[in-house]
Amino acid sequence: MSKIDGGPPDYKKLLPPIITENYGQWKYHEIPRAGVLKHVSEKGDTLYSVRVGSPRLVSIDYIRDICALADSYCDGYLRFTSRNNVEFLVSDEGKVEPLIKELEAKGYPIGGVGNALSNIVHTQGWVHCHTPATDASGIVKAVMDDLYEYFGRTDLPAKLKVAMACCLNMCGAVHCSDVAILGVHRTPPRVDHEKIRKGTEIPTLVAACPTGAIRPDPKNKSVVVNEERCMYCGNCYTMSPAMEILDAKNDGIAILVGGKVSNARTAPSFSRLVIPFLPNNPPRWPEVTAAVRHIVETWLNNARKGERVGEWIERIGWERFFSLTEIPFTDKHIDDFIFSRETFRTTAAFKY
Amino acid sequence: MEKGPANPEVKEKVLAYLDTVEKAKSKEIAAKISVPKADVDLAVKELAMEDKVEYLYITTTFVALKGKVKPPQ
Amino acid sequence: MPDKKTPKLDELEHGPWPSFVTEIKKAAVRNESAKDLLNLLERSYDDKRGHWKHGGIVGVRGYGGGVIGRYTDLPEEYPHVAEFHTMRVNAPSAWFYKTETLRTLCDIWEKHGSGLTNVHGSTGDLIFLGMKTEELQTTYDELSDAGFDLGGSGSCLRSPSCCVGPARCESACYDTLDVCYDLTSSYQDELHRPMWPYKFKFKMSGCANDCVAAIARADCSIIGTWRDSIRIDQDQVKAYAESGLDIQGMVCDKCPTRALKYDHEKKELHVIAEDCSRCMHCINVMPKAVRPGKEKGATILLGGKSTIVQSAFLSWVIVPFMKMEPPYTELKEMVAKIWDWWDENGKTRERLGELIYRMGMTKFLREVGLPPVPQMVFRPRANPYVFWPQDEIVK
Ligand code: HEM
Ligand code: HEM
Ligand code: HEM
Ligand code: HEM
Ligand code: SF4
Ligand code: SF4
Ligand code: SF4
Ligand code: SF4
Repeated sequence: MSKIDGGPPDYKKLLPPIITENYGQWKYHEIPRAGVLKHVSEKGDTLYSVRVGSPRLVSIDYIRDICALADSYCDGYLRFTSRNNVEFLVSDEGKVEPLIKELEAKGYPIGGVGNALSNIVHTQGWVHCHTPATDASGIVKAVMDDLYEYFGRTDLPAKLKVAMACCLNMCGAVHCSDVAILGVHRTPPRVDHEKIRKGTEIPTLVAACPTGAIRPDPKNKSVVVNEERCMYCGNCYTMSPAMEILDAKNDGIAILVGGKVSNARTAPSFSRLVIPFLPNNPPRWPEVTAAVRHIVETWLNNARKGERVGEWIERIGWERFFSLTEIPFTDKHIDDFIFSRETFRTTAAFKY
Repeated sequence: MEKGPANPEVKEKVLAYLDTVEKAKSKEIAAKISVPKADVDLAVKELAMEDKVEYLYITTTFVALKGKVKPPQ
Repeated sequence: MPDKKTPKLDELEHGPWPSFVTEIKKAAVRNESAKDLLNLLERSYDDKRGHWKHGGIVGVRGYGGGVIGRYTDLPEEYPHVAEFHTMRVNAPSAWFYKTETLRTLCDIWEKHGSGLTNVHGSTGDLIFLGMKTEELQTTYDELSDAGFDLGGSGSCLRSPSCCVGPARCESACYDTLDVCYDLTSSYQDELHRPMWPYKFKFKMSGCANDCVAAIARADCSIIGTWRDSIRIDQDQVKAYAESGLDIQGMVCDKCPTRALKYDHEKKELHVIAEDCSRCMHCINVMPKAVRPGKEKGATILLGGKSTIVQSAFLSWVIVPFMKMEPPYTELKEMVAKIWDWWDENGKTRERLGELIYRMGMTKFLREVGLPPVPQMVFRPRANPYVFWPQDEIVK
C-alpha cells in the first residue's frame, strides 16, 4: 500500500537556481513591457517573468506544450499565479524576446501585469458542479474575448480584476473584485416528494438548510420549503437530488462591482450589486459581455490615474455611478438582508 | 503531534453507534457514546485505515460504516 | 456511434482568448469521458442547466477528503461520465514547478482519467477533473509513489496557499512559502481527516497587497507587515522625480494617512513614521525608492468567509504583529487554542467567523487568551451595553 500523508512536493526543490540564490534578496521590479516583470536582486541578478493567460480548464496536452516552452527558454522552470496565469521564469535576458515571439506565434495571450486586466478567476459551472445557475468557463471565455485588448496593456487607470462564480456558494474570490459576475438562482427548490420518500434522510435534509427554510412534513413523509426564507443556496440539493434547485427559465447572472482585496490606499472592500439579473444566453452571453464592457469603459473614461473601480465610485459617489452608467436603480439594489442598515445613507449630503 | 494508537474500546463503541444510524459527525458520536471527541477522531482515523468506516462530504463531513451510504441513483 | 455535433460550444472556439472547448476537444481525441463531457456540456448549453449530481464519496483509503464525488443525471445518454469525480492534488508552495514534475502528473493522469485538469482550482490545488470510482485508489497510489499527496475537501483544514513572497517579490515581509509548507506538513491529520464543524482555510500573503486574497478567502489570514518605519532611498526618489513621476500627486496625495511630505526643491520624500498605516501604496508606486521597514512579521486576521450563511465576512485583526520565524510556535499555539474553541462551540457548518460573531468577540478573546488592543477595531463601540464579567463587579 502506498504511504499516506506525504504532503505536497517540497517547493525548495522546484525553485529555479536564480531564485534559490536570491531568495528574500529581491530589491525592486519593473514592467519593461506588457505581461513581463523584471526583478532585480541585491546582487544585481535579473529574473524575467513572462505572464500568459490560460483558460484554467486545460488538457494535459496544454501542460506538455508549456513544459516544452519552459524547457527551451527557462531551463525547465515555471510557475502559476493564483489567477490562472502561467509564468515563464527566464533568467537569461537574451531568451525573453525569442520566448515572446514563440508565444505570440502560438496564440498565447501575454499580459495581466501591472495596470492591466488580469485573467478572470472562476469556478466550475456546468462543466462540473451540481448547483450552478450558469456556466463559468463559457462566460469567462466570452468576456475575455471581448476585453482582450485590456489584458495586454499597462496603461489602465489601475489594476482591473474580474471574477466569476456560478452560484451563491461563490467558490472563487468573487466578492472582492472590481467586477464580479455571479450566477444566481431566483426560485426555491421544487420538492419531488416521490424521490424524498424513496430514501432521503429527512432530519439531515432539514438540518442542511442554512436558513431553516425546510420543515419536515410527517403526514406526507416529505418536507415543505418555506419559500420566504430560502436564499437559493442549493445546499438541500447537495443533500438530496429530490430538491430540484436548477431552473432554466429563471437562473441567470448578477453583476457586482467595486470590490478590492489589497490594503493599498483604501481598506479591502466588497463588490456591490449593480445589475441584479441578466439572462443566461449561451454560448456567448452577449448581455453579460456588453454590461461588463460598458462598466469597464465608463471607468476608463472617468477614473483618475491610480483609481481602482471601487475607489473611483467611492469618490464620485454611487449615485453618480448610476447616473453615469445609466444603469437603472431599483428596489433590488437596496439591501434587505441582515446587515443592511450600514448601507443606508445617514446624511443629507449627496449628489444626483 | 504523535497521538499514539486509538483505544480499542472506543473503536468498538464507534462501530456500534454507527450501526444504529446512517451517518454521523464525530462530535455527535462523541456525545452519544460519552467519550472525548479527540479519542473518537483518532478511532475513526484507524477505522478508516482498516476500511471499516468511511468519510462522506455532503455539505459537511460525516462518518459512516463503509458502504452504508450509496451513491445517488 | 458517430460523434455528436456541438455547434454551441464550437462558437466558443472563436476569438483571441484561449478556449477551454479546444482543450476539452484535445482530451476527447484520446478519452471517451472527455468526449462525453463535451457532449454533456453542449446539452447544458441547450437546456441552460447543469447535469451533475453530488455524491458523498471523498477519497481513498485513510483519507477523509481530496475527492469530490460527481455523477451525471443522464447516465444512459452519457455513460462515460456516469462517474466523473474530481481529485485535488496538493500543489507546491506558490505553485512553482519543474517541467518534469508536471510531466509526471500528466503521465499519471493520462492513464487514469479524462486528461482534463484545472491548473489550478480556486482551492489552490491542482485539479484532476473527471475519473471513475474504480480509478481513485490506483491513481492515488501512483501519485503518492511519485511524491504527491491529496489536498483537502470537506470539514477539514483546506490546502493552505500563499503568494510568491520572498521567492520573487521585494515586498515580502516573511517567508510565505515556508509557512505554507510548514503548516501543510504539520497539519496532515487536520488536512486529510475532517473532524470539525466545517472547513478552515489559511492563506498567506507576504504584504498588505495581499496577492492571494487572504483577507477575503481565509478563516485565518496571515498578512506580512513591519513594526518600524518604511525606508526611503533619497537618490532613487530623485531618479523617479527626474523620470517624470508626479510624486506629490501620485504618491503623497494618495497616501491614506497623509504621512508623506515631498520637498520639490530638494526632490526628497519624508515620512511621518507614526502616521503611516503600512498600506503599501507608496512602495507599490516607487519600489526602488521606498521599502518596508526592517522589523518584519505578520498581522494575523480571523474570520473571513463567503456569503453562506450570515453574509460574507472579511477577516479582522486579532494579532497586529507577530514575528514569523520557524518553527512558528507562537502561531501554532494560538491556532491550537482557536481550533479547540471552535470545535467545542461551533454548530455544524458554522465557520469560525460566524461563531465569533454569534458568541461575541470579547468572549472569544477571553476564552482563547488574546489581549484586546485598539488595532482590532476601526473605532470603539458607540453603545454602553457592556456585559460585565461577574469577577469585575463589586460584590
Ligand atoms: C454549502 C455550500 C457549498 C457547497 C454545497 C459547495 C460545493 C462545492 C462543490 C461540489 C465543489 C466542487 C466543484 C467541482 O469540482 O465539481 C466546490 C468547489 C469549491 N468550493 Fe464549494 N461549496 C459550498 C460552499 C463553498 C463556500 C462557502 C466556499 C468559499 C467561500 C467554497 C469554496 C469552494 C472552492 C474554492 C471550490 C473550488 C472551486 C473551483 O476551483 O472551481 N464552497 N464546492
Ligand atoms: C457578488 C458577490 C460575491 C461573490 C460572487 C463572492 C464570491 C466569493 C467566492 C467565490 C469566495 C470563495 C473564495 C475561495 O475560497 O476560494 C468568496 C469568499 C469570501 N467572500 Fe465573497 N462573494 C461575494 C460577495 C461577498 C460579500 C458581499 C462579502 C462580504 C460581505 C463577501 C465576503 C467573502 C469572504 C469573507 C470570503 C472568504 C472566503 C472563504 O470562506 O474562504 N463576499 N466569495
Ligand atoms: C444607561 C442608560 C441611560 C441612562 C441612565 C440615561 C439617562 C438619561 C438622563 C438622565 C437623561 C436626561 C433627562 C433630562 O433631564 O432631560 C436622558 C435623556 C436622554 N436620553 Fe438617556 N439615558 C440612557 C440611555 C440612553 C440611550 C441608550 C439613548 C439613545 C439611544 C438615550 C437617549 C436620550 C435622549 C435622546 C435624551 C434626551 C431627551 C431630551 O432631550 O428630552 N438615553 N437620559
Ligand atoms: C448612555 C447613553 C446615552 C446617553 C446618556 C445619552 C444622552 C443624551 C442626552 C442627554 C441628549 C440630549 C442632549 C440635549 O438635549 O442637549 C442626547 C441627545 C442625543 N443622543 Fe444621546 N445619549 C446616549 C446614547 C446615545 C446613542 C447610543 C445615540 C446614537 C447612536 C445617541 C444619539 C443621540 C442623538 C442623535 C441626540 C440628539 C442630539 C441633538 O439633538 O443634536 N445617544 N443624548
Ligand atoms: S460556485 Fe456554486 S456552482 Fe460554482 S463550483 Fe461553487 S458550488 Fe458549484
Ligand atoms: S436552497 Fe438553500 S435556503 Fe433554499 S431551501 Fe434549499 S438549503 Fe434552504
Ligand atoms: S502579497 Fe505582497 S509579498 Fe506577496 S506577492 Fe503580493 S506584493 Fe509580493
Ligand atoms: S505605506 Fe501607505 S500609509 Fe504608509 S506612507 Fe506609504 S502610502 Fe502612506
